[in-house]
Amino acid sequence: MSQKKISRKEFLRGSAASAAGMMVAGSLGGMMGQFTTLTALADEETVEFSAFFAMSGSEINSDNEIAAMIAEQTGAMADETWLTGQTDSEAIGTIIAGGEYPDFINGGDSMVSLYEAGALVAWDDYLEQYPNLKEMYSDEEWDKFRQDDGKIYWANVFQNSYGEDKTTTHNDEAFWIQAKVLEWAGYPEIKTLDQYFDLIESYVAENPTMDDGTEYIPYTILCYDWYYYCLENAPQFLDGYPNDGSVIVDTDTLTIVDYNTTDTAVRYFRKLNEEYNKGMIDPEFATQTTDEYTAKLSTGRVLGMCDQWWNFAYTVNDVFKQTGLDAEGCDYVPLGLTIDEGMENQWHSYGDTLNNSSGIAVTTSCKNVDAAFQFMNDLLDQNIHNLRFWGVEGVDYLIDDDGLFYRTDEMRANWSDSEYQASHICNYSYFPQWLGTSRDGINAMQPSQQSSEFFNDLAEPLVACFEAYGAGNYVDMLGSAKVETGSWYPMYSYSNAMTTATAGGVAWNKMGEVKHEWLPKVVMAEDFDSLWEQYMEAYEGANPQDFLDEMQEELDRRIAAAEG
Amino acid sequence: MARKPKKQKSGTRITIKELKRQKFLLIWAGIFVVYGIVFYYLPLGGWIMAFQNYKPKDGFWHSQFVGLAKFQTLFSDNTFIRVIRNTLAMGVLNLVSTFVMAIVFAILLNEIRSRWGKKIVQTISYLPHFLSWIIVTGILHDALSTSGIVNEVLLKLNIIENSINFFAYPAYFWPIVAFANVWKETGWNAIVYLAAITAIDPSLYEAAAIDGAGRWGKIKYITLPGIRPTIMILLLMNIGNVLNAGFEVQYLLTNGLVQKVSQTIDIYVLNWGISQMDYSLGTAAGMFKSVVSIILIVAANTIAKKTGDERLF
Amino acid sequence: MDKGKLKSIVSSRAFVVFNTLFMAAFVVITLYPVLNTLAIAFNDGTDALRGGIYLWPRKFTLKNYITVLHKESIVTGAYITVLRTVIGTLASLATNALLAFIVSRKRFLFRSQLSLFWVITMYVNGGLIPTFLLYKNLGLTNSFWVYVIPGMISAFNMLVLRTYMEGLPDALEESAQLDGAGYMTIFVKIISPLCKPVYATVALFVAVGHWNSWFDAMLYNRMSEQYTTLQYELMKLLSSVMSQTTSLESAKNASGAVTPNSIRAAATILTMLPIICLYPFLQRYFVTGLTIGGVKE
Repeated sequence: MSQKKISRKEFLRGSAASAAGMMVAGSLGGMMGQFTTLTALADEETVEFSAFFAMSGSEINSDNEIAAMIAEQTGAMADETWLTGQTDSEAIGTIIAGGEYPDFINGGDSMVSLYEAGALVAWDDYLEQYPNLKEMYSDEEWDKFRQDDGKIYWANVFQNSYGEDKTTTHNDEAFWIQAKVLEWAGYPEIKTLDQYFDLIESYVAENPTMDDGTEYIPYTILCYDWYYYCLENAPQFLDGYPNDGSVIVDTDTLTIVDYNTTDTAVRYFRKLNEEYNKGMIDPEFATQTTDEYTAKLSTGRVLGMCDQWWNFAYTVNDVFKQTGLDAEGCDYVPLGLTIDEGMENQWHSYGDTLNNSSGIAVTTSCKNVDAAFQFMNDLLDQNIHNLRFWGVEGVDYLIDDDGLFYRTDEMRANWSDSEYQASHICNYSYFPQWLGTSRDGINAMQPSQQSSEFFNDLAEPLVACFEAYGAGNYVDMLGSAKVETGSWYPMYSYSNAMTTATAGGVAWNKMGEVKHEWLPKVVMAEDFDSLWEQYMEAYEGANPQDFLDEMQEELDRRIAAAEG
Repeated sequence: MARKPKKQKSGTRITIKELKRQKFLLIWAGIFVVYGIVFYYLPLGGWIMAFQNYKPKDGFWHSQFVGLAKFQTLFSDNTFIRVIRNTLAMGVLNLVSTFVMAIVFAILLNEIRSRWGKKIVQTISYLPHFLSWIIVTGILHDALSTSGIVNEVLLKLNIIENSINFFAYPAYFWPIVAFANVWKETGWNAIVYLAAITAIDPSLYEAAAIDGAGRWGKIKYITLPGIRPTIMILLLMNIGNVLNAGFEVQYLLTNGLVQKVSQTIDIYVLNWGISQMDYSLGTAAGMFKSVVSIILIVAANTIAKKTGDERLF
Repeated sequence: MDKGKLKSIVSSRAFVVFNTLFMAAFVVITLYPVLNTLAIAFNDGTDALRGGIYLWPRKFTLKNYITVLHKESIVTGAYITVLRTVIGTLASLATNALLAFIVSRKRFLFRSQLSLFWVITMYVNGGLIPTFLLYKNLGLTNSFWVYVIPGMISAFNMLVLRTYMEGLPDALEESAQLDGAGYMTIFVKIISPLCKPVYATVALFVAVGHWNSWFDAMLYNRMSEQYTTLQYELMKLLSSVMSQTTSLESAKNASGAVTPNSIRAAATILTMLPIICLYPFLQRYFVTGLTIGGVKE
């Protein structure tokens, strides 16, 4: 039930793959003990690996067409099982107790438990033999995966770009606003939180209702369960820091800063409180469920909110398209706000984020470890990577004279049809993959990053908006600074895996409880200062220092490891 | 059925002759005991985790023993104490409301004259049992939202002046949960009483009619006493379940503003045990629940014994 | 007409009015969520996200049902579910009834102890991992029998049966014994035929439990697809759809996709149907007045 936000986020971001145009055949070499050619392979029996992923995912049919094509070319396939109705640690706990593992496993935040149980095969002896795998990370990056015995047991498969970054959507958090509000105001520069709310206020003053008479909800905040990041973590971004998730890392002093208690945090919540009392904030924000939130957004009534793109955009944009609201400029665009003017923001992290806390692993139950590595290696082969993410040429995509991949509306519709996905598409979404630019130098590794695909069905008001700001895409709208993230980044990969075994972990859990309760109260307060004081009292009761100390330790460790 | 108060004196003495006589009963009882030990009592070995710092890698045999540390953690945590209060409050509220409603519903249903009417009402009444909590709570959330039907009706009737955001006030949370339980389970829970009513000898109703008893009289003097043993047994069983106030409905209906009253023991275990990979803490909380349940059951059973009512054992 | 009789007629009328109103209100309140689910199941998933669907679909589609019925392994799941429901219910009913019969014999020597032994099982639980290890060692994992054997006897059902049996007149047993009948005969030939209503009740409880269960399939037969159950397949479908609605690709399709809510609704309706159809057959056993002594009133 309660999944953690980052594992989900990471899962959402991911999906891509690839490897040099290397041999497609011969992949069974290790397994059959001999070199086998492609044609010969068809006669050989396909090796079927079992794989368990401790996260929810899409099942594919056993007679899936692309899986069969991949099996034909690599001589192997994977039977994927996903988490259903359990938490990752529950599932991994039972699997460890049972002592029987699938061939491949991704245990989510419980990877360390698997490692400690001796369930995983070290990659060190194999990496050199499988160039596509090796290529995924630089030596320094691989080092980040090393466990306390100095070996590598898993590799994260997401957020890893080959060649040039092709990102067009800002798949992360931002303050969003409907394009039509910006249009109405003549596309002003909105840089600070105050300007953002001024804009919303003046818009609502002049346009209190939609065309059909529905009253606007100027701003809403989702704070149901773990989605309360929509309320909670903006202060780190408003201060110009990137998404370390649970803390700010002060880059000058290399110390951990608690973003919950900064002046910026006070100013941010005071602002929300003011707006709430002005009637600008949805009076039901504190009690709405995620479904209700999505429904509200889908009606076009909500002008702005702070959220992660993946949490709302896919469903809401879909409804907008169906109902024609996209043509009215209801689509949301991100703004890179800071607390004061003249600051740089890092709402968008360029480049890759390496989360070393989870990834794909081969288990000791695997009968043929070489074949397993060979399989992962083959999946990164460019042709197979294209099969996984673009599909079959002529069926799922076409190639124009310049070698650019494109799809017709029908192809796109098929590709997002759940039945078609089960019977035809096989992207082995938790196996190694690439984002970024394909080896042909023209296309994106994954269609979601292909800019021609991106612009294909962008609504008119969005195009106008991007043009007005001179932005090529969503990412450009934010104007985030292109700062290289520190070697410690992201700190959430550590706090995510914290447990109640340490004082820091206990404090982290308690802090969450306190914030969950108090932050909505603070926003809704009649007397902000006295409530903030009470909140801070409760917050101190959770011993945040224990948590911060532990994070500092980890920060120091990471910096030392990067230098050492 | 319980026409006469039952005296449960087990007057039979253990003699060879009696053992022989009861051979059939004893052999099967033995088989069932073996089955019970294997499937219900053997896994209780896992309670050892409550005294360990259980790590999957070490298993039961090699995990570090920590004595009562996990229990100390639980009971020194104010949250846990509050969580027990919430669980008890919701458990009792749910118990009383679902229990009473099921009996009332079964009796009233039994009073419907039309056979078809009876069948149709009964069939419809138990359907919500098959809806998952996520569906039921979704509808409930809709109905109780500021623009939902409940507020609309209250506004139209001038009972309130402004819409109430029901989920924002801790005071409403427990009643809402109780209502949700009643809504979903009344028809289903009534089935067992309906079955019990079938065992009542129809001649009793005829006799009562001759004596001039009306509808209420028949319910009071015949139906209710007739299903009394079933009521007592279910009441006793449910008393042991007050700490199982559940987590799904609370989890789906809660929010930050009411979390102080919405968290149950099961949610606590989920937050602190399972999602934090602290299996031992979860086991300790589970053990605590079991012990409390058994104490409650034994106490209730003793009272039932004293008053001469139906009892569990 | 004397006053007393008039009063009783008035009060009887009042009762009927009250009861009819109560039942009508009850039916409306309990039927609404079902009808709402039905409406959502027939409504376009994306469209339903806007909310505002009550008793009638706004944008009619069969897509949700088609998606559910096209799910691979749904047939295997349904087959196993039917099988486990039939076998599991028969096994449970037989064992629970026999156990209830034993503990409801007033002469039985360990009556109280045996009851206590079973009552305790309702309130204790060794936890996920120990239970998993036990089943694994008994060879129950990756097998069909994990559905039937472990949950076969439940104290709850046993106690419901016992209560009913205890309500039967003692004279039945005594006279049979005078005729020389053993306990086996008394159980099968004398007590069981009188217990039809309660047998039907317990059979319903157990059958519905089997019909709806999926956790055991997920836990113990995760890797044995041949033993999957209907509800487990539906759960998997649901979590597939959940992960898709947040995946990068689905956004591109405005032609109406399925959503977790629409799939959940369709799956709920589809699993409810067989139970609704089965119910009238069981119902005749516990609608009063039809079993013992003919129709009353």
